[in-house]
Amino acid sequence: MNEELDSQLSAMFDDELPPAECELLARRLSRDEYLKARWGRYAIVGAVIRAERGVRLNAPLAGRVNAVLLAEPALAAHTAPRDRLQRRLRWWQPLAGGAVAASVAAVSILWLRTQAPADGVPVAARVIAPAQVARASTAGAAQGDSYVVPRPAPSAIAVPSTELANYVVAHSMFSPPVARRNLLSAFMTSEPGNAVAEEPQSDVKIIAQ
Amino acid sequence: MAGAAGAEEPVAVPKAPPDNIPRKSSLEHSPTEWLKRMDHALTTRNYDGTFAHWQGGRVEMLRIIHRVQDGIVSERLASLDGSGREFIRTGASLTCYLPDRRTVLVEQRPAQESLVSFPTLNDQTASFYDIREVGHTRLNHRDTHVVSVSPKDEYRYGYRLWIDESTAMPLKTQLDDAHGQVIEQIVFASLTLSSRIPDAAFRPEISTEGFQWLRNDAAPQPQPGTAAPAWAAVSLPPGFRMTARSAQILPGSAGPVDHLVFTDGFASVSVFVERQTAPSGQPPVPESAAVGSSSAFSTVVDGHKITAVGEVPPATVRFIASQLKAQGAAAPGR
Repeated sequence: MNEELDSQLSAMFDDELPPAECELLARRLSRDEYLKARWGRYAIVGAVIRAERGVRLNAPLAGRVNAVLLAEPALAAHTAPRDRLQRRLRWWQPLAGGAVAASVAAVSILWLRTQAPADGVPVAARVIAPAQVARASTAGAAQGDSYVVPRPAPSAIAVPSTELANYVVAHSMFSPPVARRNLLSAFMTSEPGNAVAEEPQSDVKIIAQ
Repeated sequence: MAGAAGAEEPVAVPKAPPDNIPRKSSLEHSPTEWLKRMDHALTTRNYDGTFAHWQGGRVEMLRIIHRVQDGIVSERLASLDGSGREFIRTGASLTCYLPDRRTVLVEQRPAQESLVSFPTLNDQTASFYDIREVGHTRLNHRDTHVVSVSPKDEYRYGYRLWIDESTAMPLKTQLDDAHGQVIEQIVFASLTLSSRIPDAAFRPEISTEGFQWLRNDAAPQPQPGTAAPAWAAVSLPPGFRMTARSAQILPGSAGPVDHLVFTDGFASVSVFVERQTAPSGQPPVPESAAVGSSSAFSTVVDGHKITAVGEVPPATVRFIASQLKAQGAAAPGR
């Protein structure tokens, strides 16, 4: 992903992108799976940085991420952003540069960790192919760290049959506005097909070298 | 809030219709008042936004357009990804476009039915939810009040809402399970409040040539001497009560469907009862389904198919559906 696109994504997330560019980028997001994944990671990383609920980060990894962030003088507390571009870059700049590979791996692990509930009951998680992470360099990362993707429990996939669509549409008129938006949004984006139990995926070991 | 430019509210923000909530400084509104203001904003303001919907590890982009003009509500929700699905409401007419199934569902609600029929918060709601403001923070350069709605039992989900201080629009919404784990999230990437939205904004983008159109007919009139049994729930989860009942024909359905609505003031569950048309001799097979974090459950009771759908955990729809009985029949086991 080029720097300009990353900058636009960061700006949109920070609500600093002009409306016309925002619309264009949103449409591109809808077509580009990699860009969508990037957007999702921004949301997660942002939530982690703001210490929001529901996003977990283990202590050692949190320490490493914090160390990377604190190493960037532009991110030190009370340092005012020098210009608009720097404000946009304050998020992902720590993820670039010398420790980029290890940091990307750390962010990827962050992404995966947020999919796993606290009580250990796993949910379907996006798995990063080991080969992608294996290519990461070792710069700046702790030695011998490993993370095993939680095995997801079987879960029913959304069933957007026509009959179910009838029920959803009829029910939506009696839902509170927020719940209604969630329900219809989920219906709009659900996968076509029959309700089946997902087979648990094999554990995938990701090693940050 | 116009688009994302500068993230500041435009100079002239369309005035919102009165919400009948006493005017106080923004710091003095109670959490419940913030929720009421939010519902009022969502149902009465004109807005056009793009948001990311996160659920089950997937992120999808959607666009929502909402307008209230001359007392008529128009709404369009469209998936911006390849599915092309759209939901359009114009007054009492609801149309759902399913290009992946080459089908269009059209549901015509009764003209006299209020479109603002969702559950409202009441004093009893506090018995089952812990509603509190947990923060006052900046989100995308907007001041927001973070309101947490935490369920007190396993029958409901919880919410965390980032409500814009100026407009009461929810800029971010999280849905939590019983363990407090985030299972669904919506975050606006752009949101514009407009004084005028043209009619063209509520037309579908897809071509429906060759699609199957399924429409519902008017509410059926009972034939003399053939009155259908009235259905009721023998037992309900704590706090739930029936608030609406109607008879209708759903698009494509063979016969009339009883539609019962149960709510605890915050969450709602619809139960649909229709005569079972499965071939005789086959045992009824309970079926569960999910639509995002919302749940659906079907079962057969006394020759009738009973389907419960709602934004509640699976166990709740299963319980409610299993408690439906034709009045006068023996109570089911729990």
